[in-house]
Amino acid sequence: MIRSVMVMNTQGKPRLAKFYDFQGFVLVSLLNVDCDTVLCSRAENVSNFLDAASIFGPDSSLVYKHYATLYFVLVFDSSENELAMLDLIQVFVETLDKCFKNVCELDIVFNYSKIHTILDEMIFGGQVLETSSTELVKAVEEISRLESASNSITLVPKSVSGWRNR
Amino acid sequence: MALSGMRGLSVFISDIRNCQNKEQERLRVDKELGNVRTRFKNEKGLSPYEKKKYVWKMLYIYMLGYDVDFGHMEAVSLISAPKYPEKQVGYIVTACLLNENHDFLRLAINTVRNDIIGRNETFQCLALTMISSSARPLVRKKAALCLLRLYRKNPDVVNVDGWADRMAQLLDERDLGVLTSSMSLLVALVSNNHEAYWSCLPKCVKTLERLARNQDVPQEYTYYGIPSPWLQVKTMRALQYFPTIEDPNTRRSLFEVLQRILMGTDVVKNVNKNNASHAVLFEALALVMHLDAEKEMMSQCVALLGKFIAVREPNIRYLGLENMTRMLLVTDVQDIIKRHQAQIITSLKDPDISIRRRALDLLYGMCDVTNAKDIVEEILQYLSTAEFAMREELSLKAAILAEKFAPDLSWYVDVILQLIDKAGDFVSDDIWFRVVQFVTNNEDLQPYAAAKAREYLDKPAIHETMVKVSAYLIGEFGHLLARRPGCSLKELFSIIHEKLPTVSSSTIPILLSTYAKILMHAQPPEPELQNLIWAIFNKYESCIDAEIQQRAVEYFALSRKGAALMDILAEMPKFPERQSSLIKKAEDIEVDTAEQSAIKLRALQQTSNALVVTDQRPANGTPPVTQLSLVKVPSTSSNVDHHVADQGLSQENGTLTTVDPQPPPADLLGDLLGPLAIEGPPSADVQPQQNIVSGVEGVPNAVEATAIVPVGEQTNSVQPIGSIAERFQALCVKDSGVLYEDPYIQIGIKAEWRAHQGRLVLFLGNKNTNPLLSVQAIILPPSHLKLELSLVPETIPPRAQVQCPLEIVNLRPSRDVAVLDFSYKFGNDMVNCKLRLPAVLSKFLQPIPVSAEEFFPQWRSLSGPPLKLQEVVRGVKPMPLLDMANLFNSLRLMVSPGLDPNPNNLVASTTFYSESTRAMLCLARIETDPADRTQLRLTVASGDPTLTFELKEFIKEQLVSIPTASRAPAPAPPAPQPTSPPAAALTDDPGALLAGLL
Repeated sequence: MIRSVMVMNTQGKPRLAKFYDFQGFVLVSLLNVDCDTVLCSRAENVSNFLDAASIFGPDSSLVYKHYATLYFVLVFDSSENELAMLDLIQVFVETLDKCFKNVCELDIVFNYSKIHTILDEMIFGGQVLETSSTELVKAVEEISRLESASNSITLVPKSVSGWRNR
Repeated sequence: MALSGMRGLSVFISDIRNCQNKEQERLRVDKELGNVRTRFKNEKGLSPYEKKKYVWKMLYIYMLGYDVDFGHMEAVSLISAPKYPEKQVGYIVTACLLNENHDFLRLAINTVRNDIIGRNETFQCLALTMISSSARPLVRKKAALCLLRLYRKNPDVVNVDGWADRMAQLLDERDLGVLTSSMSLLVALVSNNHEAYWSCLPKCVKTLERLARNQDVPQEYTYYGIPSPWLQVKTMRALQYFPTIEDPNTRRSLFEVLQRILMGTDVVKNVNKNNASHAVLFEALALVMHLDAEKEMMSQCVALLGKFIAVREPNIRYLGLENMTRMLLVTDVQDIIKRHQAQIITSLKDPDISIRRRALDLLYGMCDVTNAKDIVEEILQYLSTAEFAMREELSLKAAILAEKFAPDLSWYVDVILQLIDKAGDFVSDDIWFRVVQFVTNNEDLQPYAAAKAREYLDKPAIHETMVKVSAYLIGEFGHLLARRPGCSLKELFSIIHEKLPTVSSSTIPILLSTYAKILMHAQPPEPELQNLIWAIFNKYESCIDAEIQQRAVEYFALSRKGAALMDILAEMPKFPERQSSLIKKAEDIEVDTAEQSAIKLRALQQTSNALVVTDQRPANGTPPVTQLSLVKVPSTSSNVDHHVADQGLSQENGTLTTVDPQPPPADLLGDLLGPLAIEGPPSADVQPQQNIVSGVEGVPNAVEATAIVPVGEQTNSVQPIGSIAERFQALCVKDSGVLYEDPYIQIGIKAEWRAHQGRLVLFLGNKNTNPLLSVQAIILPPSHLKLELSLVPETIPPRAQVQCPLEIVNLRPSRDVAVLDFSYKFGNDMVNCKLRLPAVLSKFLQPIPVSAEEFFPQWRSLSGPPLKLQEVVRGVKPMPLLDMANLFNSLRLMVSPGLDPNPNNLVASTTFYSESTRAMLCLARIETDPADRTQLRLTVASGDPTLTFELKEFIKEQLVSIPTASRAPAPAPPAPQPTSPPAAALTDDPGALLAGLL
């Protein structure tokens, strides 16, 4: 299963961190820093794999991909295929690109919740849920449409107050 | 249901009922819909109660067959209501109304998810119910993964019985998204138990075929022109959990697909496409490996990997190396892999540390006697340029390889000394202890090692570890160099003494010992040297470090004893042979957590098959390079007795005592330094030293005596590794594993049992670089078994493995075991051992489930001895009931939980097969006493008196912790001797009353 998805910029600032099976909230920043010092020291034309056992414990592998100012990192165990995970990063980024039209780091900073939504549509409980970026975009668009729709009708609170007033 | 409270709804329903015809009904419905619509639009003042009412009305209308195209939002909003009634309505209505409505379902999912992760159990149930009732692919996808998540978190909670059929149905799904999620679920399920899911196998192959041929794959699931690589990968992963594919048609079509994948993949320019296609390709490789394809296909795979490790794309290089390392597990292809050695060595210089690591792993794995020299030299060369992060690993690996595969000993010494020279900081003490042991145990090597040490001492700056090892070697063997230039004792002394100011206080004791030894070797005494050394001893007599101080004082005193010095400081006796602590250490590093993965399962299968693959670590740790060990110090006899008493069962195994001869590695230092420090602890390991001391008191020959193996001990000089009895016990409940292992040979077993027949394969693996001669295996069969062993070759070539199949037929029930009388010759050692073969009674059992309706009549019809025997067993290994149930299940006696009304009792059923009895149902019942776990009452019933007796005794043996007493007459006459307690005991025992009820 996938253990963690992280996005951070080249300065080591975390932009997204989601953990599916381990490491509580406290460790997140620590791990990010750790990952980052390792990642930034790597040259451009090397492989996308890193030894993750020292950071994430045994039976974990790490793939990362570098896009402009951002690193996308996936940590997973031996039940996943390494290259497939690399492809998944690509799908994630392609989806972001479609959702934001030329995605940049700022988009990710200011649309934190949306990124989470997209990620949740793609990975569910550490397992790959959807791999087609068109499907993902469709799902995300619908969710956001529903969100805006449901925002216009304030549901429960209003009716509760109505009930109280009665 | 709270309908009674909703008057409006009741009125509406009765109105509908009162309608005379369809037209009237329609009018009424339209009117009501209009009403509801206006109320919903006019949101203000709509109380939860009203909302609930209208939503129910909507559902009613929907049920009547009218299209309800509004108000879904209200239904969904009820789900998020804080109170249960509203929520319940919301869920029910949503589940009914929304399974076709796209938009609102997504909103519902969010709320449902909230409820699932919430604390309220009733809400969770509601949410899950809704999920299960909805057929939308999106939800099913999530539901599958949701189940998977629950299953992974807590497999006991999710009841997976009977999922097999549903899984098979799920795999018929056309939607690739759902299929991907279902496949993930399947992977988790089959990884725990593949047996139940055989029906899914052909479907997986079909799915794979569909994808690989790009049939019916929608555009959105094509990733860079490749039909859903994730699903392909997952499918192949799932297939790897099935041990084999038996159906020839399925197998053929799978291999066709695999062939297509292997051949049809090329390195292309687009990075993403490349990644995706290779993800599939690597998974296919893993699957081919798993399926043990024909050699041709395997070599094709290796050729592909060979291509990969040379490509430009770093990811593929990395994975190529990694997969090659996995490929090493497949015996046939190792020679082909070796052809790529040059390329792999080049990868050690790759700019990427990840790739260098993989290359190192691969080199380490593929190393054997033929290429050890090249590989170790490459590693040594690389060591000087490697980054610090890798040096420790590198030096450890180099040391281990040099030890395991040394073509000659001087080379081994060269390697270790070079290693210390180049990476002293990363060379652990274990490494130099080991080289000292080797040199001490091999006389031919001693002058060479001393000369080498002398050479290194000439270097201007050397690492402290190098000072330690050379000082030790020079002290012990420096006198052997006496005639060489620059090697007089005085010169040796001064060159070592030069280093003294540079070393830390842990090294000084070793230097002092060296001085003492040099002094001893100076015969006749050289006054000049004597004065120099005495001065040093004098100086350190007041040292703050107690160890140094003690040595200085004692050596000074001893050196004035004249001739007695010769005896006390004589050469070190040889070290007892033991498992290399280095190799142990390496194993510890490689220990992983037991996460279920196909590759690991595979590795486990490999070791349990007891494959002594040439350059793979054997399951139980490799013993030291035993051809080097000429002498062993036998264990003290008291030690042996103690162990024999512990393992009463092992007595049957005849000549071989089952003593685990390995002292903990911690006393390595004790071994080295103990004899030098005069007052060592009186442990078995420093025994030679005690002899030395006693030698001072008048038996000058004692030193020699300890260094010689007593003649009588010859046959015992080869000690088995691990306990034979334990291995046998383990094999009684498993079908493959190691039966016997000693430093020269490993005997593995793999067995298949079918009804009253069995086929057992013995794997005889020579662990050494010399052949094993005069190999003989004789089976001593008990009367109830017919055994046929195929021909065992007389010689087992170096590092080879021989397979000897053994056919077994069970004639009648008996607990006796067959014995394998095995002997071989290694050098001058003649080794003979008698091993029990795990063809025990339980192997001819076939567990069958029995329902209460079947059990009770059977149980009653088999009444009393000799068909039903009962015995109170005392001295039982105390264990929880669950463990006992597991033990029974592992003995192929199927426990039927809940059949016995008393929770402290177990009821088990099985079928026994033999030629005389055919298939015969056996029933057993255990009544335990929760107050006293060491005793229980055992009742066994079957249709054959001998079988009942034998089975009862067999179960008893398994339950009782020290079975020596019960099985004292080994071939117990199979007379049906009822040993059940007197009838009085029966009536007293409340358990007996229960037994009557059963």
